[in-house]
Amino acid sequence: MMGQDTLSRRTLVAGMAATGTLAGIGRPRPARAAETIRIGFPTPVTGPFGAEAKDQIRSAELAVRQFNEAGGLDGRMAELLVRDDKLNPGEAATRTLELIEKDRAHFIVGALSSAVQLSVNEITRSRKVLYVSISQSDTINEAKDFSRTTFHEALNPHMTTAAVAKHAFGKGTKVAYLVADYAYGHEMLRGFKRAAAAIGAETAGEILHPFGAADYSTFMPRLRSMRPDILCICNFGRDQANSIKQANDFGLKKVARIVVPVLLHNQRLAAGPDAFEGVVGASNYYWRLEDTVPSAKAFNDAFRAAYAGAVPTDYGAYGYAAIRSLLMAVKAAGDTDTDKVIAALETLTYDVAKGPEHYRACDHQAVQSVLVTESKKKSEMANEADLFKILEIEPGSEAALRSCDELGHRA
Amino acid sequence: MTQPLDPTVIGPPAPAVSRRSPLAGGALSRWRAPLSILALLALPVLLPSQALAVNVLIYGLYAVGYNLLYGYTGLLSFGHAAFFGTGAYVTGIAIGAYGLHPLAAMGLAVAAAGALALAIGAVSIRSRGIYFAMVTLALAQLVYYAALQASAWTGGENGLRGFTVARIGLGPVAFDILNPLTKYLVVLAVVGAALAMISRILASPFGAVIEAIRENETRARACGFDVERTKLLAFVLSGLFCGLAGALSAIHLSIVPLDSLAYHTSGMAVVMTLVGGAGTFFGPFVGALAVLVLEDTLSLWTPHWQLALGTVFILFVLFLPRGLWGTALARLDAMRGRP
Repeated sequence: MMGQDTLSRRTLVAGMAATGTLAGIGRPRPARAAETIRIGFPTPVTGPFGAEAKDQIRSAELAVRQFNEAGGLDGRMAELLVRDDKLNPGEAATRTLELIEKDRAHFIVGALSSAVQLSVNEITRSRKVLYVSISQSDTINEAKDFSRTTFHEALNPHMTTAAVAKHAFGKGTKVAYLVADYAYGHEMLRGFKRAAAAIGAETAGEILHPFGAADYSTFMPRLRSMRPDILCICNFGRDQANSIKQANDFGLKKVARIVVPVLLHNQRLAAGPDAFEGVVGASNYYWRLEDTVPSAKAFNDAFRAAYAGAVPTDYGAYGYAAIRSLLMAVKAAGDTDTDKVIAALETLTYDVAKGPEHYRACDHQAVQSVLVTESKKKSEMANEADLFKILEIEPGSEAALRSCDELGHRA
Repeated sequence: MTQPLDPTVIGPPAPAVSRRSPLAGGALSRWRAPLSILALLALPVLLPSQALAVNVLIYGLYAVGYNLLYGYTGLLSFGHAAFFGTGAYVTGIAIGAYGLHPLAAMGLAVAAAGALALAIGAVSIRSRGIYFAMVTLALAQLVYYAALQASAWTGGENGLRGFTVARIGLGPVAFDILNPLTKYLVVLAVVGAALAMISRILASPFGAVIEAIRENETRARACGFDVERTKLLAFVLSGLFCGLAGALSAIHLSIVPLDSLAYHTSGMAVVMTLVGGAGTFFGPFVGALAVLVLEDTLSLWTPHWQLALGTVFILFVLFLPRGLWGTALARLDAMRGRP
């Protein structure tokens, strides 16, 4: 039997809880006004997209610095917490958990791969943390993966392929496809075929190649025998450079025009002008946009001043626009509260690098222009960074996106 | 230690401590499971983040499960990602598509991993050494590509999503899994139970037989043991625990990346076991801790973290072939043996 004067378990637990509460009250709370705005930035510093990740980081840091130099949010400064996600979804999930749980990040921005961004999205969705994704994907727009707290600053394969097809395809054009056999490759193929059907272009044939293939020599004669007007190469990164080089070696450029869904600054630099000469593709940003767009000029000048005259790249511009739009919304909301910033982002129109953009209400996709560019001949290049001709600027419009209905969003 | 007769056999790992050593046979060995759990309780305080601490638990269990086969039975498998990944995928699908209770989903996942281990084991167990490693690797790759193709089930390249577990209800109590510390303790409870089971298995006559097979297969056979069946049983047990680790990782990360089935996940088990000490009870945990913490902290300092990590591994192989824990145990034993 328990005596009257013995400490009962219930009393003990209550006492401990009270002590704990007291300790919590007693602890000095940091003054809210001075608390830094922490932005977690997981990105694949190591791995095949390291060059793009480096550009993302440099541009994001520039955006944060500009925010702080302008006085921050009533004196609250912003801070970028860069973490290497190693291009691995599991690692990215761990890193995002760390950023949210340990570093108490207010926002997450970043990722550079469909799988990685979806894993970050899954974590931020359940923890109700605002996430701005800067990696291309169609999946993240769809209702199944949609999160009220996620915004997608990057283009998606649907937008890029539509812009390229609109420019390059005509009625009766025969198109042959070489497609990387994985999710992103399939999304690009689907986008092209959809655009082709609307335009009236014909499919001459399609070949799937394994992701990360080094040798394309068996595919080239088959592609050539299809006698296409256009060879459409739907892959990314190193695969793109390798397959375009080998298409060149097999003389495909003499019989067909080569188009790609995404023409990247760093890939073109790595492969050299000869391999890419005349290749047409889409991108979100090219620094020569400064000739016509004032905000691009301002972005480039700030970037040049910060990084010894270097120009920003396409993926760099994603990092910049994502952070700028987020911090603009924070300023508009006057707070870092997730719900308030979401409301501010939904109504925000921002022009930070490429003309006006806004996030569509139903899927939080950034409505923005798509550039169609062509890789220059070596003799036409004015300097080392003068890589592309801008053929067309497809203005941003919600009509260029898949409709909210089609994505499964109910009004 | 006798040299293996078959030249194709990859030498079984040097046992860090013989069973009869004063230390291994003493208190440390008898209380190894409770002591391990006690040590693991300190992790969330010591490590930079709880997310990392949970990863150490999961990969620690994964390596301990692997060690059952490699360190204790002497079979070098290169395909354990198949069990880890299957455990993770089955958990995710059972919760996401069929709405099972997380614990039921994990049970199903462990059973599935065990069944897969039985199938893979049955095919591969008669090959030896390098051939065994290659056969397990090939079969694991088969599972990887099956998951890649079955994207309607697995999400393919994008990985499996949409099964976030926010709380695990257990009768009247519910654990808030979104709270990092609660999550750690829940995972630790499962890992602790698994450790106790492994400890029991190793202390049983069966545990003695698998070590006998590692030391001298011919002699074990001559003693009348059914070597093939014992090996298969060890393989399945190892698969079960690796599947459990995978199931926990699905709960922890709320996604299943396709990488969880990839060969470098298999390699991870080998590396962690070697760094910690093959054939020791707690060694694989020490290995998982060392590898994950190094990876985590190095990649914060430098983008060339792989270079540093690689150098550390080479140094380990050259100078600490018994691994961190194995060397520490051997030192302790030597001190006791020669007062």
